[in-house]
Amino acid sequence: MALLDISDLHLSMRSFEGETPILKGIDLTVERGQIWGVVGETGSGKSLTGLTISRLLPNTTARYTGGQVLFDGKDVLRAGERDMRALRGGRIGMIFQDPTTNLNPSFRIGTQMVDAALHAARDKPAILGLTGRESRRARRRAAWQASVALLESFGLHDAEDRMARFPHEFSGGMRQRVLIAMAMIGQPDLLIADEPTTALDVSVQSQILRLIHRLVEERNIGVMFITHNLGVVAQLCSHVAVMYRGRIVERGPVSKVLKAPEHIYTRALMDAIPTARAQMDTLRGIDWPLRDRIEAEIAATAKEVTA
Amino acid sequence: MSKPLLKIEGLGHVYGARRGLFGTSPAFRALTGIDISVARGESFGLVGESGSGKTTLTRNILGLERPSEGHVLFDGHPVIDLGRGGERRLRRRMQIVFQDPQASLDPRMTIHDTIAEALVIHGPDLGIARSGYTRRVLDLLEAVGLGREHLYRHPHEFSGGQRQRINIARALAVEPELLILDEPTSALDVSVQADILNLLQRLQKELGLTYFFISHDLGVIRYTCDRVAVIERGRIVEQGPVAKIFDTPSQDYTRKLMDAIPDPDPDLSPLRRLA
Ligand SMILES: Nc1ncnc2c1ncn2[C@@H]1O[C@H](COP(=O)(O)OP(=O)(O)OP(=O)(O)O)[C@@H](O)[C@H]1O
Ligand SMILES: Nc1ncnc2c1ncn2[C@@H]1O[C@H](COP(=O)(O)OP(=O)(O)OP(=O)(O)O)[C@@H](O)[C@H]1O
Ligand SMILES: [Mg+2]
Ligand SMILES: [Mg+2]
Repeated sequence: MALLDISDLHLSMRSFEGETPILKGIDLTVERGQIWGVVGETGSGKSLTGLTISRLLPNTTARYTGGQVLFDGKDVLRAGERDMRALRGGRIGMIFQDPTTNLNPSFRIGTQMVDAALHAARDKPAILGLTGRESRRARRRAAWQASVALLESFGLHDAEDRMARFPHEFSGGMRQRVLIAMAMIGQPDLLIADEPTTALDVSVQSQILRLIHRLVEERNIGVMFITHNLGVVAQLCSHVAVMYRGRIVERGPVSKVLKAPEHIYTRALMDAIPTARAQMDTLRGIDWPLRDRIEAEIAATAKEVTA
Repeated sequence: MSKPLLKIEGLGHVYGARRGLFGTSPAFRALTGIDISVARGESFGLVGESGSGKTTLTRNILGLERPSEGHVLFDGHPVIDLGRGGERRLRRRMQIVFQDPQASLDPRMTIHDTIAEALVIHGPDLGIARSGYTRRVLDLLEAVGLGREHLYRHPHEFSGGQRQRINIARALAVEPELLILDEPTSALDVSVQADILNLLQRLQKELGLTYFFISHDLGVIRYTCDRVAVIERGRIVEQGPVAKIFDTPSQDYTRKLMDAIPDPDPDLSPLRRLA
């Protein structure tokens, strides 16, 4: 059984203007040990796909109009809120794109780490080496120790001292490591990372990529890595899915898709990467003629499928 | 040579020692001896690791921080101690686009109002009447690839990348001369990034804009900038024409930055897991 199996997922978002279809039939399967890069157009639905997996979209605005999401065989869209709470931060770790939902500026790093650990330990006390019958104090102490150990293993020196600090006292790279640690403290089977290195310089970025790579090597987890950086995908991912306007237009092993892209949109993306090693005359963005050809290719594929 | 639009001379910045809740934080020297001169119509790039002092430098350029040493001149005039009217006029001539589109848009305001707000403040200086605001907002949205249908939406209804386009439209609304761009495209997909970079180039030609461009993406800097400065722990370690600095870096630090760029060719990527 696949760790994550999304099939024909349709999602509409409601606003006062009415309902807009956002995801138009997403199929994606993530096995353990795989790192899926999800790339694609701004606004194509990458983040909403990620948020759907842990069902974090408010049901006042999000309406699932078709398809299903299976996590380890469990039907996520039809699971109760209690089950979902256990999955989030437990078996599914998330790093959000929206920085404001990530770290609360008014609480110490340690407080936030310990809360995340205790939350995850409610269903899986073993992650803190507990049986579930310990006192509150013992649980907190275990959560504290596990947090320190995890931060240290992520290369954050003096973690014990750092736990007493507030987010603004950390550099961007340090904060990002804390976020990954928070997502990993529950020892999830699936990590969903939405643009985790976008704000970072290339040196810190490469540290973070090594870190995620190591986690997959050591724990055989599955990863969904949402990014705009095709260099990062080439560096880290085993597979890649390319999204355009609510659809996955191309998918496959990185060695295939990035070496010999088949879809016109994937090629457009590859052609738009600026390189630091040579002077480029003009990068091609997506102009209307190109957009028409992309739409035509998508329409043609859709016809083949229905035929 | 004509007078530079932006001139930074011997700039140093020390964050003062502060007594906080948890003891005293010692004084911290963030910038030392910065000399940069940017000509009108030029694109100047700034690259360096996280924490190297890039934001501190832009805050000094904008006159939001008082330099500890040296000074910043915009069009020959200091950027601090201007009085209220002077400050407003300077604000219009220098705009900044931040990296984080989330934090810089008011969630309660429609896109129309967000952009028109800038026009309300600076409209008189620009000679744009109130009745012309909506037309101008529409033109700006079109310039950044958004349409009439987005006019009365709120920020949460846009994706991260769409929000960044709104930010750029807002900065351009007041027709600035110097645009400081702090990671303006890092939230965008590479095609939209290319669109925005091309848009910035076109606007530069048409309007004679000057750019001060900060990015972690050295490819973006190479594509956009004429010259670049590399900053390491608050000091400029080298500066010059982009092609020269990136093709034949004289500093190990610059080489390290170049080497850390992940290449989109999967064959050149040792970390990658095999499918
Ligand atoms: N709360 C919401 N209400 C209505 N529409 C929304 C909402 N959130 C997102 N959308 C729309 O859904 C689409 C997909 O958004 P999503 O954030 O998933 O894009 P994305 O692929 O992650 O883009 P980016 O690369 O810019 O982060 C966008 O067109 C966006 O405008
Ligand atoms: N208000 C402040 N008080 C004390 N130190 C500060 C303050 N703001 C920044 N610093 C310190 O000054 C140094 C430079 O910070 P700055 O924000 O300018 O870096 P940056 O180059 O913009 O980094 P990034 O790429 O992460 O945005 C850092 O070591 C930072 O910790
Ligand atoms: Mg997103
Ligand atoms: Mg900064």
